[in-house]
Amino acid sequence: MKNSIVNIALACAMALGAAAPQLQAETLMIKGGRVHTLGEAGSLESADILLRDGRVVAVAPALDAAADRTIDAAGKVVTPGVIAPVSELGLTEIGAASATNDYAVTGESIGSAFDPVPAYNPKSTLIPFNRAGGVTRALVFPGISLWGDSVGDPQRVFAGRSFAIELNGDFDSVVATDLAQKAYLGEPGGKLAGGSRASAFAKVKSALREAAEYRDHREAIRRGDWRQLNHSLADLEALQPVVAGRQPLMVTANRASDILAAIDLAGEFNLRLIVQGAAEGWMVADQLAAAAVPVVIDAIDNLPISFSSLGARFDNAALLHRAGVKVAISGPGYAGTHNVYLSRQSAGNAVAYGLPYEAGLRAISANVADIFGIEGGVIEPGAVADIAIWSGDPLEVTSYPEQLLIGGEPQSLVNRSTRLRDRYLKPEQGHGNWYRF
Amino acid sequence: MQLYPLYPLYSLCSPCARWLVAALGAALLLSGCGQEGKSGQEGESVTFARQDAFPSTYSVTQSRPVLIRGATLLTGTDKKLDDADLLLSGGKIARIGPDLKAPEDVLEIDGSGKWVTPGIIDVHSHLGDYPAPAIESSQDGNEMTSPNTAEVWAEHSVWTQDPQFPLALAGGVTTLQILPGSANLFGGRSVTLKNVPARRVQDMKFPGAPYGLKMACGENPKRVYGGKGVAPSTRMGNVAGYREAWIAASNYREKWRDYKKNGGDRPERDLQLETLTGVLDGEILVHNHCYRGEEMAVMMDIAGEFGFRVSTFHHAVEAYKVADLLAKNNVCAAVWADWWGFKHEAFDMTQANLAILDRAGACAMIHSDSAVGIQHLNQETAKAMAAGRRAGFDIQPQHAVAWMTLNPARALGIADQTGSLEAGKMADVVVWSGNPFSVYTRAEKVFIDGELMYDRDDPDRQPRTDFELGILDAEGERL
Repeated sequence: MKNSIVNIALACAMALGAAAPQLQAETLMIKGGRVHTLGEAGSLESADILLRDGRVVAVAPALDAAADRTIDAAGKVVTPGVIAPVSELGLTEIGAASATNDYAVTGESIGSAFDPVPAYNPKSTLIPFNRAGGVTRALVFPGISLWGDSVGDPQRVFAGRSFAIELNGDFDSVVATDLAQKAYLGEPGGKLAGGSRASAFAKVKSALREAAEYRDHREAIRRGDWRQLNHSLADLEALQPVVAGRQPLMVTANRASDILAAIDLAGEFNLRLIVQGAAEGWMVADQLAAAAVPVVIDAIDNLPISFSSLGARFDNAALLHRAGVKVAISGPGYAGTHNVYLSRQSAGNAVAYGLPYEAGLRAISANVADIFGIEGGVIEPGAVADIAIWSGDPLEVTSYPEQLLIGGEPQSLVNRSTRLRDRYLKPEQGHGNWYRF
Repeated sequence: MQLYPLYPLYSLCSPCARWLVAALGAALLLSGCGQEGKSGQEGESVTFARQDAFPSTYSVTQSRPVLIRGATLLTGTDKKLDDADLLLSGGKIARIGPDLKAPEDVLEIDGSGKWVTPGIIDVHSHLGDYPAPAIESSQDGNEMTSPNTAEVWAEHSVWTQDPQFPLALAGGVTTLQILPGSANLFGGRSVTLKNVPARRVQDMKFPGAPYGLKMACGENPKRVYGGKGVAPSTRMGNVAGYREAWIAASNYREKWRDYKKNGGDRPERDLQLETLTGVLDGEILVHNHCYRGEEMAVMMDIAGEFGFRVSTFHHAVEAYKVADLLAKNNVCAAVWADWWGFKHEAFDMTQANLAILDRAGACAMIHSDSAVGIQHLNQETAKAMAAGRRAGFDIQPQHAVAWMTLNPARALGIADQTGSLEAGKMADVVVWSGNPFSVYTRAEKVFIDGELMYDRDDPDRQPRTDFELGILDAEGERL
């Protein structure tokens, strides 16, 4: 157990870190791991990474530099931390306990203006659990309930605003806001918009037109010296960065024809489009590539679960990638936001079905950072030091992070799952029922 | 695309039936099946299980012998054999060993670099009952009209053209139990199927497999019925509901016993009570959706009160808390590798659950309850194995493979026929591209009763359901 010494050292470092701000200035060397930088340096069979002030200073096969602390990564695999492209982390605790859920509003006409940030709880149990799975950052999006009062509300094809977190559990762990606006097209859009997916498109277009109208006549509209608009001023404000092309619009679409219609919509309004779902993306991969539209896919879901995803298949990621589409892989929908770290397993399966290995790693890290314009996903000079040191290939289901850094800070990998395990396997004061195998 | 607000509905409709069948329990129950004939006195030749009301017409026959040469075999019986040959003949595992002689007309498969396991068995599936596409008119898995619907049989909802069946086959699944959903205290009968293309569900029915009874603990029944203002609305209401039903079944059984012994007016048949009485007679296995440790303990006491055995607790997220009790009572537990948090009763998840159960001597297994998960039960098993190792247990692939093969066979009462690579058993076999516990490994060839049902290299050996024809491209294939 040569790692135990490193672990003890890290634990001490963490304990010190709480009381010693100067830790930020210290240097850390990760020595001798197989490093997938996902940057220009590519993959290095054995390399050293020097960190300072929460950032990568250098990465190279053999660094001739001293460091305050060293992590021996020989025999380990080192990658950027996993980034979840969609999640409700910090907005949910228990799926079927409504009081613990803040990711969707029902019965209220807030659409694009809905901002979930005030509800974010960095102390959610989902955060240490997914951190232990290697996730260092995540996008957080609101959702819309297809069941209940909000169904059919004309405002509600827009889910609202998004933010990004780092998974250190700190109160200041929201690292960026307003990264994309989310709207429902395709089958769920049709349900929300009154029965036809065409209505969902019409509602999105109507909102975007009014947002442009608001942009061009803001003063008159705010004075009340303008026609009655169908959207609240808050909703129209929230869409300003979208119609200005500064913020992407992420839309749900699985059927090939829905994806093409979304591409047309983006062209008409000069939007930066992201397609979430894209189960039949492989059928229109060339069009997605030509329009430079990235996708966020559930790579392990190959079910023809609706008539909008009859073409779902395991090699969707591989075919999209081959066509030149930037692919991000989400946690498997069937496992929910509680297990977003399983994007690793999905990516592994995508690789098994033809996605090049490094593209698989990129799909759960670097591409996510690129698509949403956040830090992370790469190990190169200047990059934020979100780094995972793995027991083995991170896309293998049997691998796990042995050490994890977020912004250069060593992270605890303890969580309720490991606590419950240990309580039943080890003597613990006040709990006399452990097993004696 | 997932819509998270679906959770409450999903967790309910989803197939959460867990069945606990202890290894020994299954054996005892099977021996009970063997005694069916004795109730035939007084001209009553059938048992309450009504095993032959919709008789199996399963008829796969092996067209030619198969010899897999030089593969790594995980037998399912804790053995790993390197560079071994495996002969399948007459639908059975014929021989295992080095340098087997090839019979005439043999299909010889080069097994170098390949790993071979028994066919995967999923003890918890809803394929056919919750088919894809999941449109309103085909959601036939949960008769949510009464807390006790023991009278319904899952086989009567199975749509054999569900395209999810061949997807599961490509994942190495040769046998699966289709369960009713978990809205009810008593959800109805399950059916065990072989994963073969068929026109009728009877063509898929595993010959001679005992029926199961789906029961459900916890949140789902009390939410569904409490929400309608009827019992149960609490966990204690759930338990009252179980016990009242077992009292009724005990009375029914007495009435028939009395009639068979003393004659008189012939009792009326009652479909609901026949199924429950089949459990009391040891012919039908209880598969019990149950998450919490406390509830499992209560359910085992109810079984004791009325003289039956729970075969398997399904979705047993907290089984590790009562692993010793399960082992003592010969009750199995079927679990996921890592699902959690969708309900409060699924909050106390540990990834070491399966390994702790196994180490405690309980019959433990992986299960899917998912048409996605069923395609990757080898990966789910791998995750549970890895979590066990991290907990400090030395668990090797030759041991963990039973979690997806022999142990579910025990839970289903079919372990004497399938679930391991042993001479005389059904030739249900998967040839993998490598170690099945790697994410990169895929099932290459899947044999059911010796017949090559799926071949990744041969599109003509990749079953497609009627639904898939012309569905995406009038002239092409869906995939």
